[in-house]
Amino acid sequence: MSSIAPSAALAFPSRGGRRRDASLIPCAVVKYKGTQMRVQRLSEMIEKKVIEAQEVCAGSGADSHECRVAWDEVEEVSQAKADLRLKLEVENRDPLESFCRENPDTDECRVYDD
Amino acid sequence: MAVCTVHTTQSLNPTCSISKPSSFFGHSPRQLVVLASPGGNSSTIPKRKGGVLKVTCSSGDTIVIGLAADSGCGKSTFMRRLTSVFGGAAEPPKGGNPDSNTLISDTTTVICLDDYHSLDRTGRKEKGVTALDPRANDFDLMYEQVKAIKEGKAVDKPIYNHVTGLLDPPELIKPPKILVIEGLHPMFDPRVRELLDFSIYLDISNEVKFAWKIQRDMAERGHSLESIKASIEARKPDFDAYIDPQKQYADAVIEVLPTQLIPDDNEGKVLRVRLIMKEGVQYFKPVYLFDEGSTISWVPCGRKLTCSYPGIKFAYSPDSYFGHEVSVLEMDGQFDRLDELIYVESHLSNISTKFYGEITQQMLKHSDFPGSNNGTGLFQTIVGLKIRDLFEQITEAKAGASLQAAKA
Repeated sequence: MSSIAPSAALAFPSRGGRRRDASLIPCAVVKYKGTQMRVQRLSEMIEKKVIEAQEVCAGSGADSHECRVAWDEVEEVSQAKADLRLKLEVENRDPLESFCRENPDTDECRVYDD
Repeated sequence: MAVCTVHTTQSLNPTCSISKPSSFFGHSPRQLVVLASPGGNSSTIPKRKGGVLKVTCSSGDTIVIGLAADSGCGKSTFMRRLTSVFGGAAEPPKGGNPDSNTLISDTTTVICLDDYHSLDRTGRKEKGVTALDPRANDFDLMYEQVKAIKEGKAVDKPIYNHVTGLLDPPELIKPPKILVIEGLHPMFDPRVRELLDFSIYLDISNEVKFAWKIQRDMAERGHSLESIKASIEARKPDFDAYIDPQKQYADAVIEVLPTQLIPDDNEGKVLRVRLIMKEGVQYFKPVYLFDEGSTISWVPCGRKLTCSYPGIKFAYSPDSYFGHEVSVLEMDGQFDRLDELIYVESHLSNISTKFYGEITQQMLKHSDFPGSNNGTGLFQTIVGLKIRDLFEQITEAKAGASLQAAKA
């Protein structure tokens, strides 16, 4: 720590400083087909479940159980997508790396070609 | 860390099992070589032909931490900071289910409580319950397994797959030194609450939650401001009924609110964070500013320290929270430079650091994590150090007790 000038500016991330396109995941990090499949699947599910929730709530009412469950599903998949994105950004490698080392012959572990 | 001491075979803790050492994936076995002598003086190690036994002593020295948060599992930031304080990086179990929610480091295992869903996504839809509803969760199994791990037994824990929405085949969880159970309901069931050595509730205010979810979701195809708002609103009744009441049981609450330093700020970027610490908790001494138990308002920026807009403001005071006596340490604003951090650290007391600048070092280590420049990162780091301190005190107390038992 003594080698850092005390007045050095800290490179803290600007939280939400610029809106990042959540659908663009660093390509260098998505190595296996399984990861690309998960990214795509979660994106599609978000879109689908938002529409579903809007329809269900319009039909059954905003206070109905069905409406709450529908939006809860949206939350679940949105968080899952965000977790995956965070994993890719922070760890800077494909999360399937260790799994694919043990199971290189599965469909999920085919190397993804953009 | 060795907790078991040299015993005669009769007084050997009955939950220890004698086995051949083998390699456990992802987790180093804790073993102690014990030379057992029948009726001998336990303080001398007798010569004995072939008398070396390998005893696996995971005899209940696991401490259990509960973390309540409404933000999915692998709440990476808090967990990473926590495991980093203990050393080592937490990673998913190697070679197992790639959709596992579990994180394992040398000392710590983090379990996601969604794994105890009794209903999968389809089941919840059929019954008309959200994941927040207790009816979607198997608290009996949660209690049984957390208790078993605490007693030193490995368990086959189910896996809830957030991608497919299904319950996958279980994974083996071996007792670690520190078990963190994280999710929506760590303090909901009173039996599970009893097992917790320390509990934390992450209380995000509605405005901040909305701002964070906008940042999280706006760029996703399908989402809009309306859909994000609608999702939060729809989950609110269940959240208020089942999740929020847990905060009265927490030993520490980290409350995240919009800043008071910028009038009408609605971006949620500058935060006011309050660390609410329960008084009278065993092994936990609340952090304080300057004079314990008094009321302090502190703006560190001035002659000795220059800060950029909007600056930093601290407050500390005793208070009452759901009928309990608490101490509240509060930070509003942002750190901009290293010297601000170290300056603040040098004025805090009871922070359980092992050396001067440890908090600053930990914050710097993860300067790429969200919250590294404000109270969320600071207080998460402090809570991590407090947990380390708690762990060491409990371990020491147990070792002391074993020694007493051996002498008796």
